[in-house]
Amino acid sequence: MSVARPAKCLFCTFKQAARSSKPSTSTSTSTSTSAPRQFSSSPVKPNPRSRHGPAKQQQEKSVVDEIRPLSEEQINQNYTPEQAEAIKQTQQYLKKSFEDMTSSTARNLKPWTMTYVQPMTEIDPVLDKAVKAPWTNLDDNSRLKTEGELTEDIMRFMQSMPDGEKDAETALQNFLATNRITVGKPEAEHNPRSAIAPQTGKMVKQNLLPGQQPADPAQKSKGGRGKEGEGQDQEVSPALIRLMQMTGYNQRQLSALRVKSIISHRVVNQTRLGKIQKQYWLSVAGNQNGLLGIGEGKSEESAEGMIQSQYRAIRNMVPVMRYEGRTIYGNVKGKEGATELELYARPPGFGLRCQQYIYEMCRAAGISDIAARVTRARNPMNTVKAAFQALQSQKDPEEIAKGRGKKLVDVRKVYYAGNV
Amino acid sequence: MSLVELANICSHISNASKARLGFTSIPNSKLHLKLALQLQNSGFISTVVRGGATPPPAHHLLSHPSSNTPGHEIEPITRENVASRKLWLGMKYWNSEPVLEKMELVSKPTRRIWMDVEGLRKLVLGRQSGYVKGLGKPGECLFVSTDKGIMEARECVERKIGGQLLCKVR
Repeated sequence: MSVARPAKCLFCTFKQAARSSKPSTSTSTSTSTSAPRQFSSSPVKPNPRSRHGPAKQQQEKSVVDEIRPLSEEQINQNYTPEQAEAIKQTQQYLKKSFEDMTSSTARNLKPWTMTYVQPMTEIDPVLDKAVKAPWTNLDDNSRLKTEGELTEDIMRFMQSMPDGEKDAETALQNFLATNRITVGKPEAEHNPRSAIAPQTGKMVKQNLLPGQQPADPAQKSKGGRGKEGEGQDQEVSPALIRLMQMTGYNQRQLSALRVKSIISHRVVNQTRLGKIQKQYWLSVAGNQNGLLGIGEGKSEESAEGMIQSQYRAIRNMVPVMRYEGRTIYGNVKGKEGATELELYARPPGFGLRCQQYIYEMCRAAGISDIAARVTRARNPMNTVKAAFQALQSQKDPEEIAKGRGKKLVDVRKVYYAGNV
Repeated sequence: MSLVELANICSHISNASKARLGFTSIPNSKLHLKLALQLQNSGFISTVVRGGATPPPAHHLLSHPSSNTPGHEIEPITRENVASRKLWLGMKYWNSEPVLEKMELVSKPTRRIWMDVEGLRKLVLGRQSGYVKGLGKPGECLFVSTDKGIMEARECVERKIGGQLLCKVR
């Protein structure tokens, strides 16, 4: 950077000032763009904003000019009546189409603007904040008019009533519609700030009843391999037939259940003839929509024991309460033997943060948000039983409220208008 | 303000509702009376009547008793009989289940717990505050002794008053 630069620039500014003070209009655009730029050696660029500006402005102007209508005098002077009529109609049509065009200028004049799925022009009673009149519309001194004041109004109206019958009628209607019935600010009567909550949206019944089957029969249980194999076969085992008779489900409904064998180990009975080995199985079954059951089976044949336990689990299915179809109602405790556990209700999207056995049970029952802590012994079998007991021991808040004689409102349902 | 007495009362009321008793009695004191009235207010018990060693007549439990009810007057408290007064509580049951399932102390006689509004707010939201577990079970209530009297924790939060935690009821 040279020392001479400031002095030079200073002269520049003098020059420029001298030039701009001249009343020359022909170079007005160039002078406006080349304003004094101190301490800058870069060439002067034209203003990027005005790059397309003048041309576009001219375009818009020309459109407006074209549509500018002739006055009636001009038309009548220069044209025959038929022509004049035609011109008038054309002008009307053009005016209307120009209005249409200007009302949708965003589309016509700015093709690059984004098109919105939600145009934000309407107020959604659920999503948007309720539009309320401002606080200033409230008037503490507002009150209903007394009888005397109302009669005064009527008297005043009678005195100023027009003569014609039709006029009188319209005036009366006008009076009835507009005459105020309160004293104080007019906004307090016509547009008061209401304390009433906005109307909520439509309640959506999303959860099926616990006993109902999910609508989609295509979903198949991954755990019920053995049973599925049975279902595919031509011959149906007597055990399956008995299960179908007991539960009232057909084969397709049974295959739609989520059945999973989660615990298996070898057990031995020592007799005087020797050891008798058997395989123990524990399975859980559920329709993933509020039904859950557990079943134990034991057999010398492993597969047989598994099927036995699965069928028992299906038979033992009972409805389990779920809050919003995703979690449990409050925290619950369960106890089986030395195993004690606690299940905790959790917010949406929390997931199943619990150990494998409780996880499988929750999957089968259709619970998606839960936390669990097994506080004492962690025997797998007892854990499953204790969790089952805990899930069953949930209390309905509605029943609690009835018992106490209170009214209960689920604030989540009110706040989100049932869309939770 | 004896928390030892209160502990006994908590156990006694829990036991009485487990045993499906129609009504039970607790020793008379100002603290017990206020707490019993709060329990009644929250809908855990049906009636609170101050009486003597024998339970008051049944119709007193079902109406508002007073000293001038003809035939069944409530004995006015005097210096002579005040020591023998008891509070008779009417227990409630719904769907063959006790309405008051469990009542347990939070402050202990050897360790009293006071809590400010922020802490109480946490508890009411079901979170832990200090060493006190939140109100996680549905319909659980926590009664707090404040300088505005005994009240429910939710009311405390509403009125922005802290105080000594007395007992959890569910």
